[in-house]
Amino acid sequence: MLVLNLITQQWKKNIRGEGFYKSLVVDALLVLLAICIAVVFLFVGYSLEDLLTKLSAQYTPMQQFNGAMIYSVFFGITFRFFMQHLSTINLTPYLILPIKRSFVIHFILIKPVFNPLNYFLFFLVMPFTYNYVLPTFGMAVSVRFVLSLVFLTWFNSFFTSFLKRIFTVGFFSILILSAFLVSIIYLEYIHYYSFFHLSVKLFSFLIFKPFALLLQFGLVCIAFGLNKLFFARNYYPERFKERKVDNRMLFADLGFLNRFGVVGAIMSVNIRMLFRHKRTLSVMYISAFFLLYGIAFYSNDLFKDSVGLLYLVAMCNTGMLMFMFGQWFLSWDGSHFDNLMTQNISIRSYINANYMLIFLFNIVCFVITSPYFFFGIKIFYLHMSAFVFNIGVNAYLILYISTFKTRPIKLLNTSASNYQGSSYKHLKIILPILLLPVGIVYLISTFANMWISLWVLTFIGLVGIMLREQIITLCVNQFNKRKFVIASGFREGE
Amino acid sequence: MLHVKNLIKTYNGINVINIPELIIPQGECFGLVGNNGAGKTTLFRLMLDLIEPSIGQVFIDGQCVTRNDKWKSITGSFLDEGFLIEFLTPEEYFSFVAKLHKKSKDELSAFLNQMKDFFNGEILETKKLLRDFSKGNQKKIGIAAALLGNPRLLILDEPFTGLDPSSQIRLKRFLVDFQSQLQTTILVSSHYLSHVTEVCQRIVVLEKGEMVKDLKTNEDTLRELKAYFEI
Repeated sequence: MLVLNLITQQWKKNIRGEGFYKSLVVDALLVLLAICIAVVFLFVGYSLEDLLTKLSAQYTPMQQFNGAMIYSVFFGITFRFFMQHLSTINLTPYLILPIKRSFVIHFILIKPVFNPLNYFLFFLVMPFTYNYVLPTFGMAVSVRFVLSLVFLTWFNSFFTSFLKRIFTVGFFSILILSAFLVSIIYLEYIHYYSFFHLSVKLFSFLIFKPFALLLQFGLVCIAFGLNKLFFARNYYPERFKERKVDNRMLFADLGFLNRFGVVGAIMSVNIRMLFRHKRTLSVMYISAFFLLYGIAFYSNDLFKDSVGLLYLVAMCNTGMLMFMFGQWFLSWDGSHFDNLMTQNISIRSYINANYMLIFLFNIVCFVITSPYFFFGIKIFYLHMSAFVFNIGVNAYLILYISTFKTRPIKLLNTSASNYQGSSYKHLKIILPILLLPVGIVYLISTFANMWISLWVLTFIGLVGIMLREQIITLCVNQFNKRKFVIASGFREGE
Repeated sequence: MLHVKNLIKTYNGINVINIPELIIPQGECFGLVGNNGAGKTTLFRLMLDLIEPSIGQVFIDGQCVTRNDKWKSITGSFLDEGFLIEFLTPEEYFSFVAKLHKKSKDELSAFLNQMKDFFNGEILETKKLLRDFSKGNQKKIGIAAALLGNPRLLILDEPFTGLDPSSQIRLKRFLVDFQSQLQTTILVSSHYLSHVTEVCQRIVVLEKGEMVKDLKTNEDTLRELKAYFEI
């Protein structure tokens, strides 16, 4: 059977993909979590009738369940939009083989229906049906009840697939969907318009009137048809490429950096790289988000006197980009590392350019977090000290440690939770880097006052800045020692 | 067998393919030459319904190729590595293609036996996935898969590029045999003018998407082609 062939091929693709075995551990934990949730659902389903009767005297349990259904549609679609895996297949190899294109498309579209994750809700629904719906309303209604929920699940799945195919999951879609959900909840909350009431009527109609199920099945077919329409409109693979967002021509003109020689040339390449890849852009967005955490720390009186903690926050604020990109520093050149090594660039210039990039990161972060100074002049001194320390000490540490990387980072991988190239070792290194100065600050501030501790660290930072040439030489020597190991690691990783 | 009618493909306002008429009868071995960017690969993709023509149509055996699946059973093709299902082993890939062409296991093993010299022991029983093979070996696998279904129309884009010298000679022999014994229509594009003149009875030169020369191969063709490209 041809379907079996396709199924086995998709299975093989997953098993033989990169990083399959690494994600197995996480998958095993997720399975355990899933079992726990299933058990909880079973219990809740079993006692749902009692819970609902106690909850509201106005509506029967059945009506309350129906009322919640429309929210399951809204939340279901939203949740699936972010979490549902869009089933895709690389169509090109199949296009020239004597296999019907419609067959392959149907396969992709129907595959999600068989995903057991879809039916998790039924752990809750089945006990509820058995316990309450069956004795109260009889077999016919129970069957219709379960069937309508199945159709609902299918509709959610197909409709979300369709939405995902049309709209890419990006910043704006998150914003719009969240706004939509919040407004619905708000409307319900202030009793302006009750979707609950509408839902009760709607789903009671669907369950109690026999022909209504046909209507629902019709909706499922329409959602399925929308997906098919998408594939019919985008028949040729080249159409998919057209739809990609084109931010490739960003920063084509950075001529002013040419004045700075080799270092300037490398910097311009790095800046273009940062802004032309989705993965680096998303790291920058996440950093911007993390910078907002300062509000929680700086405004809270609880933390006003723990200088150590405040210093940690200040270091993160002024060095956020540096830490987030810290482990990427050599690895992002991994795919063209050989080329880089044979060019007319001295290692010293290369590492200097990296240092300049970190310097630029820190300046940007410092400027962006300057609004925090409204919380008090103390914050300004903290930030200044942390800034100097970051440039004078942490920057070199990051450069030095980057020579221990052996796995390249593939910037073109743009999946949302893509950890390719990262490892827990990164954390093992970052933590001491962050905690050591915090420890120093804490120690000194318990014996003397805060200002002395700040000045000590600033002094250390200034020393680091003044000794730049010597420390860079250290990094260059380290790099040369590890050059061949790094290069072969990057070559293998491709 | 293959009929191209009024075919025009436009990208960004520029005609990358502009062929008013091209008829290739059954059993002809047709060579396509041209410099990079002339449109050879684009033409093949248009013939295989992988890109949409702006104007015009391609007919294989009387059927229009767009949005049609029936011509795929009589066509075998290999354009680039994107055509391979990269996470399969060669054996798995061949058996899948054989199944699609409704070939039995015995026919498949007989075919692979024939290909043994061509594969040179590097492809079968290596337990490697298709994506781990060298580019030349991937090409061999693709060509073999294209030949597997006993196609009446065979389309190969630059098959000689990347193959080692012995394999190039073997491939030439294969193509000549296929055409003479099975009357297969073969379309080949190549940068190797000498190979193309040896294998093909008809050679077309493509320049910026237009057919500028349509030659019947004889002893002078190679000289004529070289003279043309010397500019």
